[in-house]
Amino acid sequence: MILPTFELHHPTTITELVEIARDLTAQGEAFDYMAGGTDVLPNYKNRLNPRPHVISLARLAGLDEIGVDRIGARALVDDLARSSVLSEHYPGLVEAARSVSSPPLRNLGTIGGNLLLDTRCWYFNQSEFWRESKGYCMKADGDVCLVVPQKEICYATYSGDLAPVLLVLDARVTLVGPDGERTVPLREFYAFDGITRFLKGPAELLTAVDIPSSSRELRTGYRKLRMRDTIEYPVAGVALALHTDGDKVGRLEVAVTGTEAIPLWYGDLDLTGQPATPATAEALQEALVDRVTCYRNVPFPPGYRKAMTGEYARELFSALVG
Amino acid sequence: MARHPHDPKNQKQGLIGQPVPLIDARRKSTGQAVYTDDIKLPGMLVGKILRSPHPHAMIRSIDTRAAEALPGVHAVLTGQEAPNRFGVLPVSQDETALAVDRVRFVGDGVAAVAADDEATALEALSLINVDYEPIRAFLKIEESLEEVPDELKLHTKTVGNTNIHKQVQQDFGDVDGAIDAAKWSKRQRFLFPGVTHAFTEPLCTIAHWNADDRLTIWSAQQVPHYLHRALATVLEIPMHRIRVVRPTVGGGFGGKSDPFPHEMVCALLTRKCRRPVRILFDREEVFYNNHGRHPSKIEIALAIDADHKISGLDIDALIDGGAWGSFGVVTTYYNGVLANGPYRLPSFRYRGRRVYSNRPPSGAMRGHGAVNTRFAYEILLDEAAHDLGEDPADFRIKNALSSYTKTINEFRITTNGIVECIERACDASGWKDKKGKLPFGEGIGIAGGFYISGSALPIWWDDIPQSTVHLKIDYDGGVTIHSLAAEIGQGSDTMLAQITADVLGLSIDFCRVLTEDSDTAPIDLGSYSSRVTFMAGNAVRRAAEDMRRRIIQGAADVSGYPTELLVMEDEHVVSVADPNVRIPYLNAVRRAMKDVGALVTTGCYSSAPPMGGKHKGAAAGLSPTYSFQAFVVQTKVDLLSGKPRVTEVWAAHDCGRALNPLAVEAQIEGCVHMGLGQVLCETMDYHKGNLENPNLLDYRTLSPSETPNIHPILVETLDPEGPYGAKECGEGPLLPVLPATANAIWDAIGERFYVLPITADKIYRALLKQKKQGRYGKRPFSDQSEKSPAR
Repeated sequence: MILPTFELHHPTTITELVEIARDLTAQGEAFDYMAGGTDVLPNYKNRLNPRPHVISLARLAGLDEIGVDRIGARALVDDLARSSVLSEHYPGLVEAARSVSSPPLRNLGTIGGNLLLDTRCWYFNQSEFWRESKGYCMKADGDVCLVVPQKEICYATYSGDLAPVLLVLDARVTLVGPDGERTVPLREFYAFDGITRFLKGPAELLTAVDIPSSSRELRTGYRKLRMRDTIEYPVAGVALALHTDGDKVGRLEVAVTGTEAIPLWYGDLDLTGQPATPATAEALQEALVDRVTCYRNVPFPPGYRKAMTGEYARELFSALVG
Repeated sequence: MARHPHDPKNQKQGLIGQPVPLIDARRKSTGQAVYTDDIKLPGMLVGKILRSPHPHAMIRSIDTRAAEALPGVHAVLTGQEAPNRFGVLPVSQDETALAVDRVRFVGDGVAAVAADDEATALEALSLINVDYEPIRAFLKIEESLEEVPDELKLHTKTVGNTNIHKQVQQDFGDVDGAIDAAKWSKRQRFLFPGVTHAFTEPLCTIAHWNADDRLTIWSAQQVPHYLHRALATVLEIPMHRIRVVRPTVGGGFGGKSDPFPHEMVCALLTRKCRRPVRILFDREEVFYNNHGRHPSKIEIALAIDADHKISGLDIDALIDGGAWGSFGVVTTYYNGVLANGPYRLPSFRYRGRRVYSNRPPSGAMRGHGAVNTRFAYEILLDEAAHDLGEDPADFRIKNALSSYTKTINEFRITTNGIVECIERACDASGWKDKKGKLPFGEGIGIAGGFYISGSALPIWWDDIPQSTVHLKIDYDGGVTIHSLAAEIGQGSDTMLAQITADVLGLSIDFCRVLTEDSDTAPIDLGSYSSRVTFMAGNAVRRAAEDMRRRIIQGAADVSGYPTELLVMEDEHVVSVADPNVRIPYLNAVRRAMKDVGALVTTGCYSSAPPMGGKHKGAAAGLSPTYSFQAFVVQTKVDLLSGKPRVTEVWAAHDCGRALNPLAVEAQIEGCVHMGLGQVLCETMDYHKGNLENPNLLDYRTLSPSETPNIHPILVETLDPEGPYGAKECGEGPLLPVLPATANAIWDAIGERFYVLPITADKIYRALLKQKKQGRYGKRPFSDQSEKSPAR
């Protein structure tokens, strides 16, 4: 498969990048930002919403630092996976990074790209020939959803591994665009359906991820359901952050990925103050399964994926209690 | 003391039995090997095929005018221009280069273009206007059994008015009586989705109709000779005007063992525009070309008598052939007849039906036709053993076929290492200490296997040998080996070189193996049915022995010593009687060349001696010898998620003689990896007419992370007809992997699975049920719970 034709832009500074984005926007030209390209390019090859312009981040300097408070958007997933700072404070984030795809792709993919990963679906991640044969879906070239036949929203599945951990850590993302810079809590960033996905303007660039110092008291973990141990998106993933207050749950944060169109933060599921016991772990399992919905558009039956979010939450809770 | 030249004990250790690295390994690992797609010819065009978006439709018309008018387009082709049918089997000539009047699956070729570059070719395809009339598609295997009007038959030649392609029936002994009298019997249905080869190198073909009016075709192929024949049929030109070249092949596994439509298309396009044309498939096209293992529904009944001996086996296999015949007639037979080993069967009945459907074609895949039935058979054997209080390994030994016997369907069994395989796999794995004794969630399982070592009869019944090898030695002393035996990564080039070097007492670097080019290489029928080592191995040995006679004659002429006392070793001709006689190899060769020039010899392997019964289909499954295998698999199930993990495989395989233990072990490891893929994760999923996962992200082969520790155990039975005693090792070792894994999962958690693949969700559901029923975690398990009557 060959790539469609597009014009490639190579800014070397953020200022230059913002200028290019502003100019293209003014001209009504659509574009994508591209860092590692591990998500963008396969989709382009399948002719999934390719744009006439691509702004590459390859020649930008910086934006790749990894610190306890701030991670640059261009930090490689593999560097997260090997970071001793993160391993010390946020082992759950390191676990999630290690579980992303395979070593070669972790070496290209960035934290920013992983957070902004496009949603996935059997009826979407296919070649143009396949989609023409089956009938196009609303996410690309069509106007209906083939998973849940209707015309309103897209049920494609969010499949990033890092987002749920950053959600439980209450991370914030910094966005830079023609209208300046702003910071958005990740918990408010993801929204709507499998097409819109998040509150980022098309010209805005995600530049950094900040983790509040208050999150350092949390113990974190991540569990991922996948058929194989490698080269897999999560078809259900659970992140937990826990702070125990004596033998009680002081703080609990729960988030999932691989279930619906966006990663979902469920807060503490009303378990703060409960004893840190197996019974609470089971209550957590039950409460989470009650809230999770899965659709039949990625591997494994929805019922199993849903059940596994509960199993993993229970197991993870017990592991974090120690 | 004088050595006798013909006593093996007195001969110097040669290359046979030595671990020899494959002679093309360095080329491949450094990127120097030339695959078809690496070939760049001046003026080469890009060929692309327009594919059907419908599973079943009539073609009302095709308008190619706009595509032809597009600048940069040099040829446009439709099916009407080449309607001659072809196929790998003489009885199933049902394919055409492109669809002539109907399309039969999503992905079926409809038209083709040759253009300056890929973008132009793709644009040209988009300009071709095909007017389709969609008709009823046959997407469930049972639908193809229905009687339908002629226009709904996928092909004219079917069973009655149905879409059944082939139906076979065999009946030996009294199966019903055996079931009635059985101490233990069970009938069970099994379901197997289709799986595909997933070879690394996508299909690629280059064709050039040159200024001499000759066609040269370079193609990723396992059977260049059958491609040669099919090209002559479709292009209506004599074979001598066609040259078939098989460059380095990046894996085949049966998926490159048919002549393919795109090869015809490539040849037809170059004939039209007289420029070289290259067709390289993307992975999705490889999936549509498929020819993988048939989706199958297999019902099997097993009867065990009071002595705990197998008394009857009844198999009913319904297999989905997809759109074309391919090897399907053979597959239909193999699903039954290859259950006649490695255990004694006093009665055997088989009904096999293969249907046409509107899906990508099924065909031959490693372990062709034997894999799914083997799974079903070995599961029931395991259940019988447990129910009867027998150790599953001992039970299999008790029922094993003997050596030098005949099966009830009249297969001639010669050497047979099944018992040694079972014993050694059990010893190595610690079977007795582990079976039924591991913690809940961990288990161990065993299964046997049996496979042909080359089909006794060729596909086209004519009188030419199945394999011919030419050797040539000239002034430089290098040995050139010519044969069309197709190296597809399995090591056949190395085997040819190793045998030649061994016979001539040379190091292997004297040999250069030229197996790519039909202009220079004598015919070998190709790499299918695990025939190459057995047949080409015998042929090359004969050619090399003839060469040795001629060189020794040269040495005798130089030295005056009688030929009877001369042998070749260490690049010399030496006398077994007199250590002072030591004629350098080159001196002997050059003397032998006196008056005749380069030394040229030939060796052949023709079909085995007449064998087999007189019943219909008696030839199916006949082989000059059979391989036997028994594997023990250890597994650990993640009790939280249900995810099964195979941790260890002890793989004992009777390969007759391991000519090259390194290559045999590699074949066993490859078989284990591939078999585990089918039992644990691989499946071709369809949504109506569309294959849902035509890519290697969603079609899941086993990753390196799941690959277990594999312990190959080489059992050598020294087959009297195999070269140096060798038999096959490329396919048989796949057979036991699947059932041994399922049996190990049973030993781990006490659950049987009759639908492949055995994925985490299925195990999770079963464990949940156990918890509800209060039997979770409790050994021993019982197999009795869901038994259905055999009659």
